Amino acid sequence: MLLVIDHHNGIPAYRQIMEQVKFQIASGVLTPGTELPSTRALSAELTLNPMTISKAYGLLERDGVLERRRGQTLTVRAMSADDLHEHKLDPLRQQLAAAVTMARQLGVSPAQAVKLFRETLDASSE
Amino acid sequence: MKTSAETAPLAIRNLTKSFKKITALRDVSFELPEGRVVGLLGRNGAGKTTLLDLACGLLLPTAGEIVTLGRSARELDSPELTRLGVVRQDGRFIEWMTVAQQLDFTASFYPNWDAALEKRLLEELELNATRKIVQLSQGDQQKLSIVLGVCHHPSLLLLDEPMSALDPIIRARFLDLVLERLRDDGCTVVISSHLLGDVEKIIDWVVCLDAGELAVSAPFDELQESYAEWLVTAPTGGLPEKFVEPFVLNHEGGPKQARVCVSCENNDEALQSFASAYRAEVKSRSLNLDEMFPHILKLRNGRKAP
Repeated sequence: MLLVIDHHNGIPAYRQIMEQVKFQIASGVLTPGTELPSTRALSAELTLNPMTISKAYGLLERDGVLERRRGQTLTVRAMSADDLHEHKLDPLRQQLAAAVTMARQLGVSPAQAVKLFRETLDASSE
Repeated sequence: MKTSAETAPLAIRNLTKSFKKITALRDVSFELPEGRVVGLLGRNGAGKTTLLDLACGLLLPTAGEIVTLGRSARELDSPELTRLGVVRQDGRFIEWMTVAQQLDFTASFYPNWDAALEKRLLEELELNATRKIVQLSQGDQQKLSIVLGVCHHPSLLLLDEPMSALDPIIRARFLDLVLERLRDDGCTVVISSHLLGDVEKIIDWVVCLDAGELAVSAPFDELQESYAEWLVTAPTGGLPEKFVEPFVLNHEGGPKQARVCVSCENNDEALQSFASAYRAEVKSRSLNLDEMFPHILKLRNGRKAP
């Protein structure tokens, strides 16, 4: 599992971990049943306080993204197809919310914005 | 049952320290939870070094109490001192010795000195043990202080500006080393520094002193989540000259656009209501420790004003 933590952007490190793990699951990089590195190992790898890692893991477990198997290992929980589909859209939804704010600031109408999104999709699929 | 003050690695109650006419610390109270990495922050002369010197009994309080590892710092003795690691800004060495001799000398006071750890740290920090202490550069003296401060596996490690003379490569190794002590020994670490960007990586608790008084003692994530900078855009204008919301710390801009620094418990909620109240788009950005720091100090001054 490859995580990149920006220590200076002001976003708490535990949140950055949570978002990246969720994204990697949604995009299929982390598959159900994959074991996550131990708190200790990840703390050493990322030069992060072990408390920060435990907090992120604990919250991901609470959100039902990870599950703790017998013993101590933490794994990616299997999700139903519906759940998976829903989670897949989360990061995209966030990006679009930012784009919506910008469209409003620029005074771009909803119809124009949708048209632009479609054009961008088409352009990148060519 | 032990009270939290008895189990806290460092508990401070109404602590005041004066040097003749100067009051270095005024009525400071807080307790540190165990197993944390605490950033002790403050401007020059805020009282950081005085606080650390009081914690290890090098200075005695003028009033109030400081309890280190469960014992009043006035009465610290071998059971506590062998569990305390201290790295001071001005390392005090026996200058005619070599690095190896100084290490052997200090090690002889500690029953659980870890020679293997010592050897590894000398390598990692690139410090040559055969050199004479008088010949060491400032950076190398700082490395020696660090090795001397951690090889007995302390349960409380007090680090006073430990990185000021280290280069970026060694600083990164030093941060790794601190976290390793935390993982292996469950050690509580207090690290004073004005290099906020470096400590930001590893701290999870912030104690901030402002001109001898406590400005804040709180978990770092909570601070990160409460402070933000908002870019407020109202296409039709109508932003006020001064925002009255109590969570607005400062603001600049005009009727159509403003930059606002805020501090509140629930940022998202505040943002929503702010945006609808002013019919504006609000873009939020988190603040890093460097950016947050002046606000922590200012906020307090604002509150203190009559």
